[in-house]
Amino acid sequence: MQNFYEQLLEHDLNPFLLFDANGKVKSYNKEAEFLLNFVSVKELFELAIANASVSFGFNHHYLHLKYNKQTYYGILVGYISEDELALRLYKEVSNHTNVINNNKLKLVNIYSLIDLSKNSTLLNTKLKIKELYDISIPEMKVNINDFLLCLNDCFTLFKEEANISLIVQIKIGEYEIINNKKCKIISLEFQSNNPIGLDKESELTLEMKAKKANTNIFFEQKTLKLELPMIL
Amino acid sequence: MKFIAKSEASKKLLNIAQMSSSLPVNIIISGETGVGKKILAQTILPDAPIFDGKILEESINNRTIDLEQYNEMIIKDINGVLNKIEFLENLSNIKIVATATFLPSDIESSFAIKIDIPPLNQRIEDLEELTRIYLEEANSIYNSNIKADSLDINLQQNGISLKNSIFKNTFLQSISSEDMKKSLEDFIFNKLEEGYSYKELLEVFEIPLLKASKKKYKSQLQMANNLQINRITLRKKIDTYFGNEDY
Repeated sequence: MQNFYEQLLEHDLNPFLLFDANGKVKSYNKEAEFLLNFVSVKELFELAIANASVSFGFNHHYLHLKYNKQTYYGILVGYISEDELALRLYKEVSNHTNVINNNKLKLVNIYSLIDLSKNSTLLNTKLKIKELYDISIPEMKVNINDFLLCLNDCFTLFKEEANISLIVQIKIGEYEIINNKKCKIISLEFQSNNPIGLDKESELTLEMKAKKANTNIFFEQKTLKLELPMIL
Repeated sequence: MKFIAKSEASKKLLNIAQMSSSLPVNIIISGETGVGKKILAQTILPDAPIFDGKILEESINNRTIDLEQYNEMIIKDINGVLNKIEFLENLSNIKIVATATFLPSDIESSFAIKIDIPPLNQRIEDLEELTRIYLEEANSIYNSNIKADSLDINLQQNGISLKNSIFKNTFLQSISSEDMKKSLEDFIFNKLEEGYSYKELLEVFEIPLLKASKKKYKSQLQMANNLQINRITLRKKIDTYFGNEDY
């Protein structure tokens, strides 16, 4: 049976993890469990180590972190014995609901846009794309202009590659509330054999373009992922 | 005139153009003079009015155009526009297909679709088809039967210079002896009015004669034999007109 404090931590909206001296997780709350879908235990342990106080104590650090869609504005590292190290991350939370201006959206087949962007951007390249498409995706409402601008930039990143894979599918079990309606999420995942090697500035530019197109963008070493709501 | 798409590259370009025609996006078509930018733009927006970028900018600045009456337009030579960003902001409610000889980097993000047309010498199948079309047209106008392999084509301005060179070649090759005499007579008459001498007018006849003979007979000896002219006289004429230059 958890005591009151443990229950309080368990239900906290901010992730909490307790590591042993070797970096193994001894306990974590619900939010941390969700967070671990997107970041490794090792990375979080290293974050805690790097920000722990020199001698025993609690250290707050204000820093910007982003894992998947969630951003964090700070962490607390608790170091009170040689056997345990605690990490708490503070979420940037806003209670605004996602509203998308319907006037700019047009019903379209997502694959037509992908084809158009691919053909115009990669016209003089030798890049071969292995396409894994979920053909059950229906026509959906998209801000075509902004989405194409974002998509063009994504394809441009792989211009020098010989092969990539592009997986387009509906994400299972994930939804987004848009204009008070529950929408499924479409994911476009570009997988390369080589690191994408995008500098921070270009990453920010692409993030802004994606945001304008009502799309979330995620960068991993060899993978680039776009997620957009399936507005019908 | 429709956009010729016989080469693989052009087929892809045409496909992009057709796919984007129904979408609410701005398109920019770039390429050298004469590659077919305007024709491809008209494939995308067949009913849209065509404006020159610089003139349209002036009209907007002078408020002599009512933009609200347009929902689509083709803008030729967008690089001629001085303040492109402000210009495009004024046209934000209009679907635009713009053309340019090179892609302007400052407004690249205003165009979701970018189509770069390669020059004709990189699209051999299109070049052959265009040559066939222009030659057929020229043969029909000049009532001749000139073959493509006898043409001396010029691709400096792609389709524009190709057409000009084919028409010029066809005209020159199809002209009859009688037409030539008549044309020369008119030419000489005009030059006599300007006060040309016998010697100056003789050049008009003798220079092409010597050039053509050189092309045909290669050596001066052969030229003299076939033209039935004294070799010393021939040499003198060549020296007079060309000196030591190759002709």
